[in-house]
Amino acid sequence: MKNFIKYILIAPLVFFAFGCDLEENLIGNFTEPFTLGGDSGGIVAPPISEGEFDGSNQTVSDRLQGAFDKLRDGTAGHNNYWSIVTVAADDIFIGVKGGDWYDGGTWVQIHQHTNDATHEGTGNAWNTIYNSINEVNNTLAGSGLNDNDMSQLKVLRAFLYWRLLDTWGNVKLVTTPGTDVPQSSRAEVFSFVEREILDALGISEVSAMMDLSGSPLTTEDKKYRVNQFAALALLTRLYLNAEVYTGTAMYQKAADAATYVIDNGPYMLSDDNYSIKNLAKRPVPINGVSDSDNLTGYAAVFAPNNQDNPEIIWSVNYDPATGGGMNFNMMTLHYASQNTWNFSAQPWNGYQTVTDFYNTYDASDARKSNFLEGQQYDFQGIPLIDWAADDFDESGAQSLSLVYTPYVNELEPNTCRQCGVRMHKFSFRQFQKDNMDNDFPLFRLGEVYMNRAEAKARAAADWSQALPDVNMIRRRAGVSEYSSISGDEFLAERGREFYQEALRRTDLIRFGKYGDSWWEKPASQDFRILFPIPQSQIDASNGTLVQNPGY
Amino acid sequence: MNLNFLRKVVPHVLVLMMCTYALHAQRTISGTVTSADGPLPGASVVVQGTTIGTGTDFDGNFTIEVSDGDVLEFSFVGYVSQQVQVAGQDTINVFLQVDSQLEEVVVTGYGSQREREITSSVVKVTAEEFNRGPITNPSQLLQGKVAGLSIYNRGGNPNGGPTIRLRGLSTIGANVQPLFVIDGVIGASLNNVDPNDIETINVLKDGSAAAIYGSRGSSGVIIVTTKGGSVDEFSLQYNGQVGVSSILDQVDVMTSAEFKEAGGVDMGSESDWTDLVTRDALTQIHNVSASGGFGKTSFRIAANVREVEGIINRTGFNQFNSRTNINTKAFRDKLTIDFNSSYTKRNQDNGNSEVMEHATYFNPTAPVYFDDTPFREFFSQQQRDAVGGYFQPFGLFRSYNPVAITEQGRYQTEVIDLNYSVNANYQMTDWLSLTGQFASQQSRNNYEESRSTQDYHTQRATSDQRGNVAFENTNYSFTLYEFYGTLRKNLGLIDLTFTGGYSYQEEDWFRRRIGLIDFPNDNIDYAYNIGASEQLVEATSLPIGGTFSNKAPTTKIIAGFARLNLVIDNGIYFNASVRREGSTKLGEEQKWGVFPAVGLGADMNKYLGLSFDRLKFRVGYGQTGSLPVDSGLSQIVYNFSYGANGTQQARAFNPELKWESKAETNVGIEFTQGNLNATVDYYTREISDFLLEAEVDAAVFGFNRRWQNSGKMTTSGIELAADYNVNNVWSPGIVVSTYSSTLNEYIVENGILTGNLGSPGQNQTNMILVKPGEKIGQIWGPRFVSVDAEGNPQFEDVNGDGNLVTGQDKALSDDVDFEVLGTGIPTIEFGFSNNISLGKWNINAFFRGALGHSLVNTFRAFYEPRVGSQSSYNFINTKLAIPELKAANFSSLYVEKADFFKLDNLTVSYTFDIPAESVISAASVSANVQNAFVLSGYTGPDPEPSLTDGGNVLAPGIDRRNSYFTSRTFTLGLNIDF
Repeated sequence: MKNFIKYILIAPLVFFAFGCDLEENLIGNFTEPFTLGGDSGGIVAPPISEGEFDGSNQTVSDRLQGAFDKLRDGTAGHNNYWSIVTVAADDIFIGVKGGDWYDGGTWVQIHQHTNDATHEGTGNAWNTIYNSINEVNNTLAGSGLNDNDMSQLKVLRAFLYWRLLDTWGNVKLVTTPGTDVPQSSRAEVFSFVEREILDALGISEVSAMMDLSGSPLTTEDKKYRVNQFAALALLTRLYLNAEVYTGTAMYQKAADAATYVIDNGPYMLSDDNYSIKNLAKRPVPINGVSDSDNLTGYAAVFAPNNQDNPEIIWSVNYDPATGGGMNFNMMTLHYASQNTWNFSAQPWNGYQTVTDFYNTYDASDARKSNFLEGQQYDFQGIPLIDWAADDFDESGAQSLSLVYTPYVNELEPNTCRQCGVRMHKFSFRQFQKDNMDNDFPLFRLGEVYMNRAEAKARAAADWSQALPDVNMIRRRAGVSEYSSISGDEFLAERGREFYQEALRRTDLIRFGKYGDSWWEKPASQDFRILFPIPQSQIDASNGTLVQNPGY
Repeated sequence: MNLNFLRKVVPHVLVLMMCTYALHAQRTISGTVTSADGPLPGASVVVQGTTIGTGTDFDGNFTIEVSDGDVLEFSFVGYVSQQVQVAGQDTINVFLQVDSQLEEVVVTGYGSQREREITSSVVKVTAEEFNRGPITNPSQLLQGKVAGLSIYNRGGNPNGGPTIRLRGLSTIGANVQPLFVIDGVIGASLNNVDPNDIETINVLKDGSAAAIYGSRGSSGVIIVTTKGGSVDEFSLQYNGQVGVSSILDQVDVMTSAEFKEAGGVDMGSESDWTDLVTRDALTQIHNVSASGGFGKTSFRIAANVREVEGIINRTGFNQFNSRTNINTKAFRDKLTIDFNSSYTKRNQDNGNSEVMEHATYFNPTAPVYFDDTPFREFFSQQQRDAVGGYFQPFGLFRSYNPVAITEQGRYQTEVIDLNYSVNANYQMTDWLSLTGQFASQQSRNNYEESRSTQDYHTQRATSDQRGNVAFENTNYSFTLYEFYGTLRKNLGLIDLTFTGGYSYQEEDWFRRRIGLIDFPNDNIDYAYNIGASEQLVEATSLPIGGTFSNKAPTTKIIAGFARLNLVIDNGIYFNASVRREGSTKLGEEQKWGVFPAVGLGADMNKYLGLSFDRLKFRVGYGQTGSLPVDSGLSQIVYNFSYGANGTQQARAFNPELKWESKAETNVGIEFTQGNLNATVDYYTREISDFLLEAEVDAAVFGFNRRWQNSGKMTTSGIELAADYNVNNVWSPGIVVSTYSSTLNEYIVENGILTGNLGSPGQNQTNMILVKPGEKIGQIWGPRFVSVDAEGNPQFEDVNGDGNLVTGQDKALSDDVDFEVLGTGIPTIEFGFSNNISLGKWNINAFFRGALGHSLVNTFRAFYEPRVGSQSSYNFINTKLAIPELKAANFSSLYVEKADFFKLDNLTVSYTFDIPAESVISAASVSANVQNAFVLSGYTGPDPEPSLTDGGNVLAPGIDRRNSYFTSRTFTLGLNIDF
């Protein structure tokens, strides 16, 4: 019996006294951040170039890379920031094509401004932007950054907060990873964005006489990075919309910032003097006409090989190998169009162009390169066909041919599958992978001209003040110059110029036309100028996020 | 259980017991208890009607103080008890018979108990009760046999694993399949056991039984014991089966004539695509086993070969499996060593899972080959050649020639498993034994995929990225060390068994994949020459083919456990156990969990003075825990991005991540009277801090989702099992179970919807409600009323407020006109077995069914509306089709009741008379049909419940388009014993 007691007592001792090593050693993961090469030390070979059309051999390596590359998320893909701000405007829509693209009605809702807080694309945009901000905050919290690095990161973060300011207005301004802060008002967010950029420029305010010599930012035109001109270009956009954001107009500052960029920056409009190789050229003539050898002027700004375009001030680096995220080809083209460019994936037949908007272009406008219209042919020049029985044009005539028509029958439920001209501004190249090569310009000189034109006109309450800059843009497009211009005409010009560049919604709001009725959209209420904060985020925030008014 | 507690309490209890000893002592007698295996140590010797008792020592000897009128009761687990009158004897020697019937021994965690002493819900299924016929996965043996155990292999894909659930959803984000313990080896894979080698399966259903296994037992425990040999009883057995399967059901589509009539695009030919990609499939199974023993060593060796064809062309598997069990004794029989090993090699042809989908709705007027279409001039010769001459309707979304998919790709998996275990038990004294166990599992899974450069289904046949080759190797190893001691002591009134031990488990998992595309032409199979890939030549790193490796950290579970079993007065049974367990997967401060359990049972006959053959009441309570599936969730990790030449934070991390805990209470009554046996169990359980990747504030964490302890869920259910025997001819048996689960708390208070219907056109259409206060598995959507003149569906104003709100975006708002359209989880599941013995004939008919569940028929939801743009695909055309409907919107129209009742398995067998002098000792033949008939109103291929949506356990009830076609199988079998 003694032994028995002894064993009973010893047993638990043995079993419970085991000191145990339960450390989790993540041998297949990085648990510390790092950057290769560049000014962070070490040697890194440039990636093997995919050829002349690929910008990857231009890639810089620095400690900012991880943060700046986050811009690829949501800037040019489906069901994220680009999609919601674009489809909410009057130029691009996604028609419900019978059983296809209904998707719970989300794209009809965005077009008609009836989306609510559970809208998925809106939620994705919010999450993506905050994820990008988190990466900037992580990088800023790291070591080895010089003043220029930190200022670039702050401008990048200010740009991301500008997206939140423009789209949701009242958001949290988080600058330290993992910490919660109270929700700020739209005016507070505006002030934060303005102050961060001014700090980076080393000035207290923008004026015609400003001196940027104390700026930690440089004037070097380093690809995919921020310099003084990119920071100022962001300021022109911010000030141009200040009245919307804060109720206080700041047009003179917008004009001054724009003038500084135009006068001091190394950028020029991509005009007839600038040509690059046309990478979409097919080997045989199509209907007796060969594809051109080169892309020139406006079309070159957005081409797959646009990385060296002189008009671009700050762009997002996309490439199919290591920088995916732009897939306009998938988003807009009909399935059969795969065979025109020999894509490595079948497109989705989604985004189409509103007829009324398309019709505002003059026949001779060079910017019609923004679109794909008419009978489509394959690589060998054989007409493409669409088996669906709903193919018809305005006259109701049916054929098996795939013809992109300006005419669109309806938004839902049965948009005909070939209706609507397609997005082709960021043009495609032969044997394109599903991720595109084209860099996406966040700021280009063309916008700075147009911002200055509008800022001057609004500051003077005189639209004729806009004429010199507007005509510069019209000349480049090969259309006749205006001798006089109205606000509506100016807005239309911006529409033609910035199609597919995610600016249209902001422009319509600034011109007070966002709530107007347009094709397949009834008039909408004023509160719609801000998107609803995603309900899932409000739910997850434990009461620290309050929904925007009206929702 | 803490040490101080034991230190204080145990001596007191023991002292009390010794006191009772002294009072009754009169004179001392002695004796030996033996059994067929020799002396029986640890047997209990009790003076009947008193608390006086003792146990036998290692040699089976005992001494006890008695008076002459006493009756001594001798008992031991697994043996028939015996009463002997003392009547003046000084020596009493007793021989105990092995109890083959009533007192069955049930294997529980780290030991075994007599059936009547068990205080939790444990079901034992023996080989005779298993399902018959060509079983391809051992879990099928149990389908419908255990109340509360749901096993569904939808459609019956021979290479598809079943979904196994014990008592419904036991956890949300963690391991939801029960733990298998095979010959004492926890966590073993059931796929390594051939159904023919299994002797018994014990299912530990409730938490009080499973708690001894800690986190791994959280979803229930299934203990499998394989057959062994016995000394001096040599036997050689053969059994073989040959079967043929053919397609039983598929979703109805239009014939080419109906399709043209309905306005479908005529491509000028006629094809029955399902017929073109399916076949009558042959199955053969051969099993040989030899068992016997010499001296103190017994063995069984078995080898099995299975060749199974799937009903879809180019699918199926070949498997070789062998198993060796050796048992030997040494050191005067004090040491028992069991050695088990198994080896499995399996070669699978998986096929492409989208074949069924495309065969269902590919245009019925399309030809198989381009040469047969009048439209061929629309395509260049180059294009037609690029896809290998198979007709493809270039320019249609998700429309691929199913014959081409089947013939232009190879999708093969080779699985090699080698498992072995050694278990050594040493009988230290008559009351103490020590057990040490080592087990090792090595599993290799080699996947090989090679798709032709002309396979249009890759979407790349016409680009410069043709073909696809992928190799993916997964190595898994599991090592287990366990030590435990068992004390058995008779303390007069009380029989005490104490088990305590230590467990160390280590898992390693490593996966590598090489994926390449961009091959020159269709001349060779590039799996055998990947160097021809232009990707490799250019040495670029395009991510399209997918090349990666990842190694999970070694995950460890370290645990100490202890259990106390008391049998008091031979009528009251008490069990208590505790396990303290630590895991690598949780937050720094959250790694350890403690899981206690307690159970009590009573022989009600004895205490209520009733005279049933058996009436036992039992109640148990136990806690278990669950771990997340993934590693590293509590640590910050970074991805390397070549585009970035640096790192970016990979995901949100949660340093506070802790154990999910489950507490379960089970109450049961077991009843036997004459030929009737019945067991009823009621259970209720609460899962708190369940693990799930849930929404968090993106502004704070940088990501909008992270793994969290996210909520609380309760489940309760009732289970009934009963069997009867009529004149030893007909033995019917029935099991019935019902349960329901409610989400009590969820991190998102307003709830969410999950289970996206998907592409084409039905994204952002989440159909399953996940909301605090609501039941799990409710299908949520608008109610279809009629079709308007334009062909659009009209929905019901469900809340009658005159305002119709049916947008998916409003699904959770107060004014939405949505309602519960069905539930994905069945209300009642039942199995009804019948065994009829008529002389040499035996008929076994097993019926199975489930009631109350619904399925979203996704084939119909996408392709039944007569949408114009779909007119180049076939239309689904079930009895529920509404030809006027021209728009596809999810609604009640596509949610169907899927109640079913089927004759799952019918076997007729005949046993031959064998002359005594024959070399054959027994022989029988059998004929079997699986899926003999299915009664169901469901229009999809298979009405069986869908308990998980591709791993999303919160979204049951969705019948996806990759469901395998169901089949019926006829089999002939032969058994010979030599």
